[in-house]
Amino acid sequence: MTAAALTILGPLSAAALVLALRRVPAALALLGTLVGLVGAGLALAGVAGGTRYGATLPGLPGLPLRLTVEPLTAVLSVLVAVVGFLVMIYAVGYMTGEESQVRFFAQMSFFVAAMQTLVLAGDWVLLLAAWELIGFSSYLLIGFYLERADAAAGATRAFLYTRSADLGLYVAIFVLVASTGTSEIPATLGTSGVAAGVAGIAMLVAAAGKSAQAPLYGWLQDAMAGPTPVSALLHSATLVAAGAILMIRAYPLLSPGVLLAVGLLGGLSALIAGLVALAQRDLKRLLAASTSSQYGFMLLALGAGVPFAALAYLITHAAMKSSLFLGAGIFQHARGSTALDDLGGVAHVQKRAFIGFAVAGLALAGVPPLSGFWSKDAVLAASFEGQYPWLLAPLALAGTLLTGVYVARVLRMLWWGAGRGSAVAGKGWMGAGLAGLVILAASLGLTLQPLARLLGTQPPEGLLVAAVGLLVGAAGLVLGWLVPARRLLGPLRGPAERGFRLGGGFYGLVALPALSVARSADALDHRVHAGVLGAGRLGLAVAGTARLLDARGIDGLIAALVSGTRSLGVRARTLQSGLIHKELLLAVVGGALIFVLLAIGLL
Amino acid sequence: MTFPLVTVTLFLPLLGAGLLVAWRGVPTRGAHAVGLVASGLTLLGSLLMWARGIPGEGFGQVEEVAWIPSLGAAYRVGVDGISLPLVLMTTILFFVSLVFSVQVSERARSYVALFLLLETACIGTFLALDAVLFYVFFEVTLVGMYFVIAAWGYEGRQKAALTFFLYTLLGSLPLLLAILALYLSSEPNTFDMRAYIDSPPLAGLGAMLVLLAMLVTFFVKTPVFPVHTWLPAAHVEAPTAGSVILAGVMLKLGTYGLVRFALQMTPDAFRALAPYVAAVAVFSALYGAFVALGQTDLKRLVAYTSVNHMGYVVLGVAVAAAATDTEARTLALDGAVLQMVSHGAVTGALFLLVGMLQDRAHTREMDEFGGLLRIVPTLGWAFVLAAFASLGLPGLAHFPAEFQIFLGTFYVYPVAAVVVLGIAVTAGLYLRAIQAAFLGEPGEGQRKMEDLDAREVFSAAPLLLLTVLLGVVPFVVLDVVHATTQGLLP
Repeated sequence: MTAAALTILGPLSAAALVLALRRVPAALALLGTLVGLVGAGLALAGVAGGTRYGATLPGLPGLPLRLTVEPLTAVLSVLVAVVGFLVMIYAVGYMTGEESQVRFFAQMSFFVAAMQTLVLAGDWVLLLAAWELIGFSSYLLIGFYLERADAAAGATRAFLYTRSADLGLYVAIFVLVASTGTSEIPATLGTSGVAAGVAGIAMLVAAAGKSAQAPLYGWLQDAMAGPTPVSALLHSATLVAAGAILMIRAYPLLSPGVLLAVGLLGGLSALIAGLVALAQRDLKRLLAASTSSQYGFMLLALGAGVPFAALAYLITHAAMKSSLFLGAGIFQHARGSTALDDLGGVAHVQKRAFIGFAVAGLALAGVPPLSGFWSKDAVLAASFEGQYPWLLAPLALAGTLLTGVYVARVLRMLWWGAGRGSAVAGKGWMGAGLAGLVILAASLGLTLQPLARLLGTQPPEGLLVAAVGLLVGAAGLVLGWLVPARRLLGPLRGPAERGFRLGGGFYGLVALPALSVARSADALDHRVHAGVLGAGRLGLAVAGTARLLDARGIDGLIAALVSGTRSLGVRARTLQSGLIHKELLLAVVGGALIFVLLAIGLL
Repeated sequence: MTFPLVTVTLFLPLLGAGLLVAWRGVPTRGAHAVGLVASGLTLLGSLLMWARGIPGEGFGQVEEVAWIPSLGAAYRVGVDGISLPLVLMTTILFFVSLVFSVQVSERARSYVALFLLLETACIGTFLALDAVLFYVFFEVTLVGMYFVIAAWGYEGRQKAALTFFLYTLLGSLPLLLAILALYLSSEPNTFDMRAYIDSPPLAGLGAMLVLLAMLVTFFVKTPVFPVHTWLPAAHVEAPTAGSVILAGVMLKLGTYGLVRFALQMTPDAFRALAPYVAAVAVFSALYGAFVALGQTDLKRLVAYTSVNHMGYVVLGVAVAAAATDTEARTLALDGAVLQMVSHGAVTGALFLLVGMLQDRAHTREMDEFGGLLRIVPTLGWAFVLAAFASLGLPGLAHFPAEFQIFLGTFYVYPVAAVVVLGIAVTAGLYLRAIQAAFLGEPGEGQRKMEDLDAREVFSAAPLLLLTVLLGVVPFVVLDVVHATTQGLLP
């Protein structure tokens, strides 16, 4: 368990140390991720030897936090650690001469630590916490260039998109915990019936947000405003991967209906995002769209009922996509731009980087014997042999074709053109990081068999399917190399370039309505306040009237009483004049009155 | 006889205030020194109370003195797992407020004395175990805050202070009637709150009417839609430290009363009304979030997020009232109590930081700022941290509380789970504010803005630290809360 803890604590303490010491940030970050890598390796070795670990940490009452090391989580942890370490090596070179290195390396280390926590989480609360924290790390890193307006906007969009989708994970967790009474992940996956269906769909929403599936992929392209190592990490083994990882881990929960939804969403994303990638004029934006499309393959395989194919694709894609981004970053430094028009011929200046980029690209297109061939073969086999082949297999093939087309298009655009470019600082570190990942992208196919054994499953395969896949991928490559994208896309080109944003996209469909609701609520609030004040004034007015009544009524009555008594007194005084005849008269009248009263009384 | 720690802690600030009243012509620095020492010792006292702990069930550290025996009123104070964290939070917030306020030079003697009076009143409300004592403290907080706003606020302070005072004063009258009804129906007649809690004296229609009266009072104080409108009005005009206390401490008097009085003294009536209270709370929380999204004034924005966060607390209490199984009830109530503490730390920090911005720029309009993270990084990153805490980021104070409230709610009223929408809206509003004020190109006239000085760091840092602690090790507080809540209701 100590080894597994190191995978989190290594990068986490690196982040803390970088912030505390504020010096040698790159070295500390490298050391931290290296410690994490060693820990992950030891944990995997232990798991391969048959041991399983778990740790329980205090959390909320009745909902303790858990870490769990079993084959799946250990493999994912190694993946995160390897990619994290190699990207960090690259980043040392990439960030040469940049300011705010302390912030950069602290945030990168924290990002890796949060992702390791997500991967190793054994309960839903910890997973949710890590899930949100990687979103937060991405927000900080995408917005790394604080002054740039596009960075700020991209960061905000990324966090808002994913947070809105995260509500799905909240709901899924509420459903699972409420119906099983525990937050331990394996114990909740046995849920069935309506609860499982609701939880599965809610989880799919969250995963679609993180993994940038249709229609929630727009944010990923805007997230390119961050430094390139961030993009490499984000797209391969951290933020975007989290969605697919969630679905892979939750696979036992998913009912056939939910699986169909997962598969269809993945297949459609592979197709739509593939078209979007084909239409892009910027290398990083193209790679971003490609990421959405490739994660579509993983969900498709999962929907077909073969989680192993999804996992295999996740692992190989991590190596391929991070290599592509790291190559793109070198081109970017050479030309000061990532627009494809500015990158023409860069292949001849940055030869080694281009070779790495090309190997990773061909792997992505499924060229044997590179890793992508094996993993894409697994996905295709799953789509042909799993559930709903007539729905999923055509989507998988279309996605494969598109992948070939846009890879070839990019390679051609990088190849043709004048070979010019400025020297790239920090190229040694960058080259080392890239080389490591390219080697993985080329060779990871070898690991799929042992991986399947470790997980106790069989990789799906079929000779015929492999041949069909190879043919389609090769056709895509040829098509992409020979035919310009605008001819291929035809009328779709404009919408595809804008990412098929329907109704103004997220901004038009969610942000604007929310803001207008907010404005109405604000206006209403002013009215409520006026209303309450009005009620208060009414109360005061009533009180005023009452006071007036008081003054005229009761006070008046009392005053009248007083003045009446006094005037009576005055009159009484006039009676007592002191004149004998008057007093005698009064006495006689009085005596007569008394006599009369007595007489009446007697009668 | 043991040392009367609770009473000493309670009256230490008042002692300081008395000293200031008696000491005419005290220099400004002297007045602030008295304030810091008094509130510092009070903080120490509450820490010692925390160290003493609470018994598993009921109230601990009880101190009693006869007061009006013929009426059954007495001086009774004590704590349980619900009030103890709130007392600690209160003493922390008063201390940092007084640290922040050391730059106040205008009538410093009265300023500090009022804050100290306010501190005793606030702590007293949480500590009181006698209904008359509770009511007295509850009302004195109003008076104190009225003068703080009216004398040290911004331009429209007089009107805002009066609105605040009348609003909440009228709001608290029903509580007096409720207390009298409880007194008259208790047997023998007593104002001892423990007696009301152990055997609720009222049932049926009587309990319902008393509950309604309490709800009016505590909804105004909390505040809940539609009687929340005093809150932004008061905050906009209140001085920074006043806002910290108002939002950080005084709003909790409402939700604390909701638990202590409404939930514990009229449990059956509350159970009957719980669906309505929950509906109002959900609406209020979402409404507060959306109105906050519509604000461009940073202080109003933070003020409205309080309506949102306190809506969650009310929801948690309503769920606890309705829940039939212990698990859901303690979950929701633990969350509600923790949320009160979290909100104190986070919103306190946010108001301090907005106040610091206003001191520098003399505006609070987010669009008039820009690129502040570059110019004033300490202030900027502190704001980012507090903002993400407020929007419920895990690892920071609000997440554990809100997660428990939402989960508890889902057990009892699955439909009310729509309230989670609020966390997306609050994310939107804070990110918008950060993007406008803290990212991008620095605005003109802000380039010379200075970063935080020592006074500001010392006032904000404890709250930010607390924010992180509550997020990472929430069990430190929750264990105390949970010990009480699990035995709270039959």
